[in-house]
Amino acid sequence: MTFWLLRRVALFAVSLLVASVLVFALLRLLPGDVAATIAGTDATPQRLAAIRAELGLDRSLPAQYGSWLAGVLRGDFGTSQLNGASVSAELGRKLSVTAPLVLGGALLAVLVALPFGVLAAVRNRTFVGTGISAVSQVGIAVPTLWLGLVLVLVFSVQLGALPAQGFPVDGWADPGSAVRSLVLPWVALGLTEGAVLLRFVRSAVLGVLHSDFLRTARAKGLTRGQALRAHGFRNAALPVVSVLGVQLATLIVGAVVVERVFTLPGVGSMLVVDVGNRDLVKVQGEVFLVVAAVLVISLLVDVAHRLIDPRLREVR
Amino acid sequence: MRPLLWIPAAVVALAATTVACGTGGDPGAPATTATQAATPPDDQLDLGATVDVRLILEPVSLNPFSTSGVAVDQLLLDNVYEGLVSADTADGDKIVPRLATSHEVSPDGLSYTFTLTPDAKFHDGSALTSADVVWSLQQQIAPGSKGLRAAEFASVAAVSAPDPTTVKVDLKQRDTFLLWNLTQRGGIVYKKDTDFATLDAKDNGSGPYTIANWNRGADITLARNDAYWGAKPKNAKVVLHYIPEPSAANNAQTTGQTDVQTAADATLLQPFTANPGFTILRGTTTDKFTLALNNKRAPFDNPDVRHAFRQAINKEDVIAAYGAGIPIGGPVPPQDPWYTDLTGTDAHNPEGAKALLAKAGHAGGLAVTLDVPNVYPRAIADVLVSNLKQVGVTLTVRQVEFPTWLTRVFTNHDYELSIVDHAEARDIGNYAKPDYYFGYDNKQVQADYAAARAAASDGERDELLRKVAKQASDDAATDWLFVNQTHTVVRTGVYGVPSAETTNRFPLSGIAVGK
Amino acid sequence: MTALRVLRLVARRPTGAFGLVWLGLLTVGAVVSLFWTPFDPQRTDPGSAWLLPFTDGHVLGTDRIGHDQFSQLLVGARETLVVAVCSALVAAVVGLALGLVAALGPRWVGFSAVALIDILVAFPTLLLAMVLAAVYGSSLGTVVVAIGIGFGVAVARVARAEITAVRGTDYVLAARVGGAGTGRIIRRHLLPNIAPTLIVQLSLVMALAVLVEAALTYLGYGSAPSSPSWGGMLHEQQAHIAARPLLVIWPGLAVALTVLAFNLLGDALREATDPRLVRTR
Repeated sequence: MTFWLLRRVALFAVSLLVASVLVFALLRLLPGDVAATIAGTDATPQRLAAIRAELGLDRSLPAQYGSWLAGVLRGDFGTSQLNGASVSAELGRKLSVTAPLVLGGALLAVLVALPFGVLAAVRNRTFVGTGISAVSQVGIAVPTLWLGLVLVLVFSVQLGALPAQGFPVDGWADPGSAVRSLVLPWVALGLTEGAVLLRFVRSAVLGVLHSDFLRTARAKGLTRGQALRAHGFRNAALPVVSVLGVQLATLIVGAVVVERVFTLPGVGSMLVVDVGNRDLVKVQGEVFLVVAAVLVISLLVDVAHRLIDPRLREVR
Repeated sequence: MRPLLWIPAAVVALAATTVACGTGGDPGAPATTATQAATPPDDQLDLGATVDVRLILEPVSLNPFSTSGVAVDQLLLDNVYEGLVSADTADGDKIVPRLATSHEVSPDGLSYTFTLTPDAKFHDGSALTSADVVWSLQQQIAPGSKGLRAAEFASVAAVSAPDPTTVKVDLKQRDTFLLWNLTQRGGIVYKKDTDFATLDAKDNGSGPYTIANWNRGADITLARNDAYWGAKPKNAKVVLHYIPEPSAANNAQTTGQTDVQTAADATLLQPFTANPGFTILRGTTTDKFTLALNNKRAPFDNPDVRHAFRQAINKEDVIAAYGAGIPIGGPVPPQDPWYTDLTGTDAHNPEGAKALLAKAGHAGGLAVTLDVPNVYPRAIADVLVSNLKQVGVTLTVRQVEFPTWLTRVFTNHDYELSIVDHAEARDIGNYAKPDYYFGYDNKQVQADYAAARAAASDGERDELLRKVAKQASDDAATDWLFVNQTHTVVRTGVYGVPSAETTNRFPLSGIAVGK
Repeated sequence: MTALRVLRLVARRPTGAFGLVWLGLLTVGAVVSLFWTPFDPQRTDPGSAWLLPFTDGHVLGTDRIGHDQFSQLLVGARETLVVAVCSALVAAVVGLALGLVAALGPRWVGFSAVALIDILVAFPTLLLAMVLAAVYGSSLGTVVVAIGIGFGVAVARVARAEITAVRGTDYVLAARVGGAGTGRIIRRHLLPNIAPTLIVQLSLVMALAVLVEAALTYLGYGSAPSSPSWGGMLHEQQAHIAARPLLVIWPGLAVALTVLAFNLLGDALREATDPRLVRTR
């Protein structure tokens, strides 16, 4: 296990490094630069050159990459080229919107997927089971952004119950109104991602229900519920954990769209604006953060697999 | 029963439910605008009030000397920093006294003498004297100046201070634009020996507000300067919230998070129309939405094609799509002294456009590409596509991000058609620059513009500039889609909100909140 | 099992039948729109703005500047189908190539390919598409490439696992003993065996491609704004949702039904081609 873990962490570190090079290189291909944005319509070649020199844009690419990476390793994502603000500080502020959004959405997805997924499997080929499956197919097909718009239509425009868009200008100072503006985004993310997760829960539980070990447990005299609780869920958890990991990653990026629909000032909106301004130091910080989050999640999923599945522990 | 067949049925049902909830209403109804109620006397006002204002574009830096961007002017001019003279946006940009209580011009027009108010003070407490004014203007005229507007002061030969309240500006040649340029960014008076790099952290102007806090990416707070030499602001604090999204801004205004919403989207005013809680103000702007036709590149090097494009586009359709605006037909908005009605030149005429295209050898049709920054509503380009299709032109629209536009179109001139909002006030000089991205090169226009700048009187100047505008329009140097009209939504109980040209200059000190 | 037989098996299931019918209708609509639409989808007309459905021949009504919504939907279907099919093709090529290299290449090549797949999988497709669109400009091409690569690496994972499994089977070993070269083994044994799995995967890729394309054009990173698309329609109408809710319903419904059709078709295909499932029903 220790050897395996070391190897896995080493792979994680290498992946992160390669990802940082990829992110950095990919962004250097962008046409136009932040100097053009700063100079605007007052641009002259001299002014552009002066701004570039001031920002260190005239240094060689490896030198720029090196100083950026050194900063990131210290937890310093640099400063915005446009206005000199600390990227880490702004990321922190935007995360106070995006993190609750993603985690809340994921929680809701699990709350929807687990009970209904198990129910759909246990009641397979009955009215209830098929009904749940059918609804989940719809949930998968409906675009999150459209579900968001339909929710706005019903709960904001028609009922006036919840805000259609925006986030309080003073953030979490008033938690009540902050939560109210997150309710519809949570539901939009939770239902669409929950539908995907539900199908995996259902098929995992179905697989377990038809397995030999469960039949053995039933033969020992356990009821189906007892057998499932004692042996089934642990086995069914394996694929579900993997999918949940992938979904968390999807949610982080999916947040870009949801933040746009509900005009939430989160990391996604920040990314869209910064790509527009060619504020590369910020963009590479944001993209790198997202990719790193996805890699961390996949590392955690692998570790969780090891812990849940005794067979994997014995193999090596 | 085949339960799986419900699936599509369920999707349709979901849609049907929401449809059944639909309101309809009349989205096409025009917004009702009103004039603002007069500000009540001070004893009926809450002079300790904080006013929350929605703006769109956040400045990138608070150093007005060398940071470009109109967001800097909007925030700082007349609020934090002041010049010798100012422009009254509520009165058609009339030039009014500010730090200089009066000025005199010598008969030959080569010498301006300004008399300063003796009371003005910088935020650090020191008195503002003629030495500061001289130093500030010398930073603009110094060779190699990094001042953003240094070029505007090319006519200035010397600046001197005969006594602490008098400033004398001597010119190499007459300059009818000098006073106007002094009302702008280049005319700001800084304290002598200011290191401009420090202004980002600590402002030191002479205006009625100081900068209390900058929450980057979100808002800027201005606090009343109680030591201000002139009329004190009628509010204690102003929080400027930078909210680019129109619908998020609407949400902030309807929920009372903001008191004033500037630049409200003209197509989204329904929540405030006929609502006693709000007043919608409509004001002029200098936002000239300009369709640039690359004069140096085929097919637009042929004037017939340029005229054809102008005649093909129905400006009223474009305005309807944008939601507000007035047609201009030339490079000058109506509030400028040298405005002349040019809407008759190349008026909407699809048949004429077709004939001109045929004459230019494009009877079989023409395909061109339009590069437009993605910050403008798509509807504008949609109308152009539709209008041009009627005369046989296939228009491909490329939405580009602003930096890409700056590099590709503005700097490299690598484009055929482009739309941009030329927001700067009094920028007719762009038509006298053959190297500008329009590619418009008419020697007569250049000569007339130069003559206008050195004219003996404002009347003579205005006559020459009218000639420039007419010639640019006759040559179809560019096309002018419309000049924007801006809408400001004000919460009832808030008074004295500026409503004209709010993006160039937004004096906050008159905004008052009733008790 | 011949293609025709699979099709018949698919069509017999309600899910498969729905998928085939909707996608068939969509294809017909897209093809017809090449020659005819009720109105010019790009025509703007302030005189016929904000029309409700079934007024003046506008079946689904018009928007703020007078665009006929039904014509726009028809032309938008073209873009949706093109993106779905082309990204699936790109994903298939990328997935197969990477999968083959990872499974059959020399040890270190295989290992690097697997590592590359792992890293690329962590690079979210939507993000990749945004960056590519910013670099190369927004166009259908960048959308297709981004989606194709983004989902191609996921296909590569599945392909590698399948190829590794098939490679170890007796008949492949027998063929190898019989002197067959790598190329021949891939063509004769590997590809036919992994084809059913691959086809199912690709139908899911098409479903995802439709979703991602709609999201991208909604965000403004898709095709040129002058060409009608479903995501673009959602973007345009969102601001006016309170005034004309129907206008956001149509394009969203079209996306949902299309994604559903691809997903259900994928399910039906899996059931029709998996011998175990065929027997149990």
